[in-house]
Amino acid sequence: MSKQAPQVPRRRFLQTTVGAAATAVAAPTIIPASALGRDGAVAPSERVVVGGIGIGRRGGYDLGCFLEQKDVQFVAVCDVKQKRRGEVKNIADKHYGNDKCATYRDFRNLLDRSDIDAVLIATGPNWHATAAMTAAKAGKDMYCEKPVTKNISQSLILSDTMRRTGRVFQAGTQRRNLPHFAFACELARTGRLGPLKKVYAHPAGMQAMMSGWLVPEPEPEKEVVDWDMYLGPAAWRPFNAKLLDGFNFEKGGGLVGGGVLEWGSHCVDLCQWAVGDCPPPVEYNAPKDGELVARYENGTELIFREKGWIPLGSCPVRFEGETGWVEAGDSGRMVLSSPELLAGRKVEEIGGYPATFHVRDFLDCVKTRSQPKGNADAACNAHIACHAANIALHLNRQVRYDNATHTFIDDVQANRLRSEALREPWRL
Amino acid sequence: MNTIRCSIRCSIRTVVLLAVVTFIIVSPARAVDDVSATEQELLAVLRSDAPASEKALTCKKLAIHGTDAAVPELAKLLPDPQLSSWARIALEAVPGAAADDALHSAAETLQGRLLVGMINSLGVRRHAESVPLLATRLKDDDLEVASASAVALGHIGNAAATRTLRTALATVPEEARSAVAEGCVLCAERLHSEGNAAAATEIYDQVREADVPMQRIIEATRGAILARGQDGIPLLLETFESPNHKLFQLALGTVREFPGGAVDRLLADTMMKAPPERAALMIQAMADRPDTVILAAVLQAAEQGDRRVRLSAVDALRRVGNESCLPSLLKIAVEDDAALADTAQTTLAALPGENVDAQIVERLQQADGKNYVLLLQLVGQRRIDAVSDVLEAVDHADPAVRHAALLALGETVSLQRLSVLISQVVAPRFRDDAPVAQQALRTASIRMPDRDACATELAHALNSAPAGAKTTLLEILSDVGGTRALQTLATAAASDDDELQDAGSRLLGRWNSVEAAPVLLDLAENGPAEKYRVRALRGYIGLARKFAMPDPQRARMCEQALNATRRTAEHQLVLDVLQLHPSTDGLKLAIAAMKRPGLKDDATRAALIIAQKIGGKGVDVSELLAGAGLDKVKLEIVKAEYGAGAAQKDVTDVIRKQAGDLPVITLVSASYNASFGGDPSPGVVKKLRIQYRINDQPAEASFAENALIILPPPK
Repeated sequence: MSKQAPQVPRRRFLQTTVGAAATAVAAPTIIPASALGRDGAVAPSERVVVGGIGIGRRGGYDLGCFLEQKDVQFVAVCDVKQKRRGEVKNIADKHYGNDKCATYRDFRNLLDRSDIDAVLIATGPNWHATAAMTAAKAGKDMYCEKPVTKNISQSLILSDTMRRTGRVFQAGTQRRNLPHFAFACELARTGRLGPLKKVYAHPAGMQAMMSGWLVPEPEPEKEVVDWDMYLGPAAWRPFNAKLLDGFNFEKGGGLVGGGVLEWGSHCVDLCQWAVGDCPPPVEYNAPKDGELVARYENGTELIFREKGWIPLGSCPVRFEGETGWVEAGDSGRMVLSSPELLAGRKVEEIGGYPATFHVRDFLDCVKTRSQPKGNADAACNAHIACHAANIALHLNRQVRYDNATHTFIDDVQANRLRSEALREPWRL
Repeated sequence: MNTIRCSIRCSIRTVVLLAVVTFIIVSPARAVDDVSATEQELLAVLRSDAPASEKALTCKKLAIHGTDAAVPELAKLLPDPQLSSWARIALEAVPGAAADDALHSAAETLQGRLLVGMINSLGVRRHAESVPLLATRLKDDDLEVASASAVALGHIGNAAATRTLRTALATVPEEARSAVAEGCVLCAERLHSEGNAAAATEIYDQVREADVPMQRIIEATRGAILARGQDGIPLLLETFESPNHKLFQLALGTVREFPGGAVDRLLADTMMKAPPERAALMIQAMADRPDTVILAAVLQAAEQGDRRVRLSAVDALRRVGNESCLPSLLKIAVEDDAALADTAQTTLAALPGENVDAQIVERLQQADGKNYVLLLQLVGQRRIDAVSDVLEAVDHADPAVRHAALLALGETVSLQRLSVLISQVVAPRFRDDAPVAQQALRTASIRMPDRDACATELAHALNSAPAGAKTTLLEILSDVGGTRALQTLATAAASDDDELQDAGSRLLGRWNSVEAAPVLLDLAENGPAEKYRVRALRGYIGLARKFAMPDPQRARMCEQALNATRRTAEHQLVLDVLQLHPSTDGLKLAIAAMKRPGLKDDATRAALIIAQKIGGKGVDVSELLAGAGLDKVKLEIVKAEYGAGAAQKDVTDVIRKQAGDLPVITLVSASYNASFGGDPSPGVVKKLRIQYRINDQPAEASFAENALIILPPPK
């Protein structure tokens, strides 16, 4: 059987929110700074030396969170784009008041540095899995933006590789460390909503995203934009500047990541947390009326739903049990079927710790070697659910998934879509 | 432990995953006849002189529909640097020996990166017949080729591949050894998952002893510990004691996977002998084994010794502690070391154990000083029902005790006992207690499930409260919300008491639901003083702005707001709302507002903006605008350019097409890029410049990217 993702035993997240002994809302406390040697002036031996790979808009936000941490020393950046290399170097150098941030065009040269403990991977999703596994094999821990994988096979290999190499992996699913989402998931997971019947995720568009093979344009100098490295594991196509800002997946031929994966890697991930990070659903139906319904082994439904959401901001999720429901979104608000579920608190009270906690969670685990919230197994299960839903969407029919063999049952076409060759010389 | 089963399952999973590829290879594709027509169409594209882009996407489709028949055409693309990887996308997926043979043949002739691609695909397909070829390629002078061959052999992982890799580990050049070790570890993992732990152990040990990079040693050491089962404990403990920090880190991770309870006692002993910086981390690992952890060792580490170790242990007790830890934690929580004390209190607040609450209450009855304060705080944090005991502390001589008691009551008191806090707010016995009592009452009030009942209690208290306290109670009522609270605030705002008027109108003005609309409108029209009427009206307009509601309702609210005052400032706020939520009803109201004194220009502008917004969604607004006296103009677009710097795009035709007989241009999309057929200068802020004539008078205007296009009249 597919495994249960680690339940993060290191901190009993929000347990007291709904526990029998107490009902106070407890933020997920991090390990005391002094216990990990990061109070006061952090000794060099206690620092986590970090390098960045592909730091753009989202990565820039992540980088800010890393730089805030006293025990982080950001020493190098790799980017195939000269301009971005320079921009990130400037940010780091300005932060430290020196000019020591090294720049690389090929991330393998960055990984060769023995002084670097961990990497922040925020390339386009085309590179995420390949870069992450290359980093793991080079002995680096990693915080990797999502979507992490391009297909089911990559998802499985990712979790196996992280285990085999003994690396700490944190997917950029930062909502696992946002208090109201955590609270909502906890309500579902601990039975406070009654036996769970339906979990809803917002795919933000169940359509193919096309980019593919555009009209060739003159290729820039390698030092300016290294097009070959930008393509990386994606099948070859000629240079076109438009692909530089939107080329997330190898598109064309129909099956793509699209909204199901782009947003699903967040909101399906939360649904997976709500169902206890169990193996992904076993049945996925063709979309109908803006909904794609999948079903877990125990009958609980995972529903990708386009419309009908309470306006609570982007990335909404909804969990329905026999006796109650909760819906939450990026606005930081949530709506519940009964105020009693709040155990005497106002919605606004559930919160109060910084969004950088996901990064802090990762760094603590780099030191303790425990499992962070967005660990590889959790990410693997959530991504498989998204990929399988995409396959049902692409084939426009039901597919059934066997978590023991990780195959679609009696379905050659669906099984052929579980993996895809990487462009040479890249491998997982 | 579950984790070891997990590890084995995962390894099995990899085997299963690869086996499925094999299954697909040897099984005929289902419904081949159904897809043959599709396949023939796709093959026709490959055989044609279609452009490479078309052939590339055809390869992707053949990954689903291709059969043996597709292999020869796909094989022809393998030497093509541009299309080789596209062809492999199909060939890796197509079932049958023909695809294997095509990849194998290509691997015999190609060189460099293309050869690496073939080798990688043979590895993914676990093509056993390629082992001799890969064994040869393992010695290739091209490091990429040799490394790819080693990893491919690892994926194949049969006896021949394993033998080849183990031999090569001692013979290949240093540069290729890391990949060979990676292949060996893959083979060992497969053997372990298949139940052959002894053979796996042998390979892991061979890699551990080889001259390979540290990361390979780490992987082999992990495997060697786990493959040995319980016999792996000595190696695990030895790894904990390694001077190499990376190996120590590996031990921290591996012990969390290690099965059974035998290791925990030895782990605890090793922790006690370890340097503090290591012991602190080991305690965290111990606590991640909650079923078998040696609690006494963690507790002992919490009670005394190195500060860093104590902190880690106190934190760990939050997860694995029980009531037996309570006495020690209570002592630590009142130590002078703030970090230790805070961590201990955090742990106490969440300490598991059925009897913890009862023991805290029992101790409360004899406590004093810092302990008394701590216990009262814990009553609040753990939400222990001990109101009677806590009440005894409310009159204590020590203000710290009183304040802790009040805050504990705020967390625990029920509606029936809410009066004890109300009385502390209305008539505090000690003056310094008032702010704390207010905070406690607010905390208690907002967590009451029946907020109307709570509001009734607070409203009742309002009658007899002294000046100052009335405002506090009204503020708490505002936080509570609900119908009863709203009524109370409305009554206060309309009273003849200036304090109540001020507080009532202020709190109503920031009420966060449309239920307050009638109350606010009434206050805006009939309030006792101008300043309160303005405040109420702004709150009323704010509701129309903030909340979702049907268009007619919003327009009605806006109209009532316009009628409620003659002040231009509030009129402009109303027009802003109409522009923010454009609708036909809103447009009608904006047009009507053009007749109001002093509002013509603003209302005209608002009408045009609304018209443009809803016009862009297909609503015909020309009749409404024409009927509003917005005279038609003769509009002529002379030239229009969109872009930045030298990168300008001529969009004259697009603008001309959208221009009508009003000085407003509605584009097909809110995005200029989309409306003008693309981005002339990606990543740069652009402008739209239009030269035009209105009634034959020339003029020119610039618009920031995506701005509304309202053409100013010629000067």
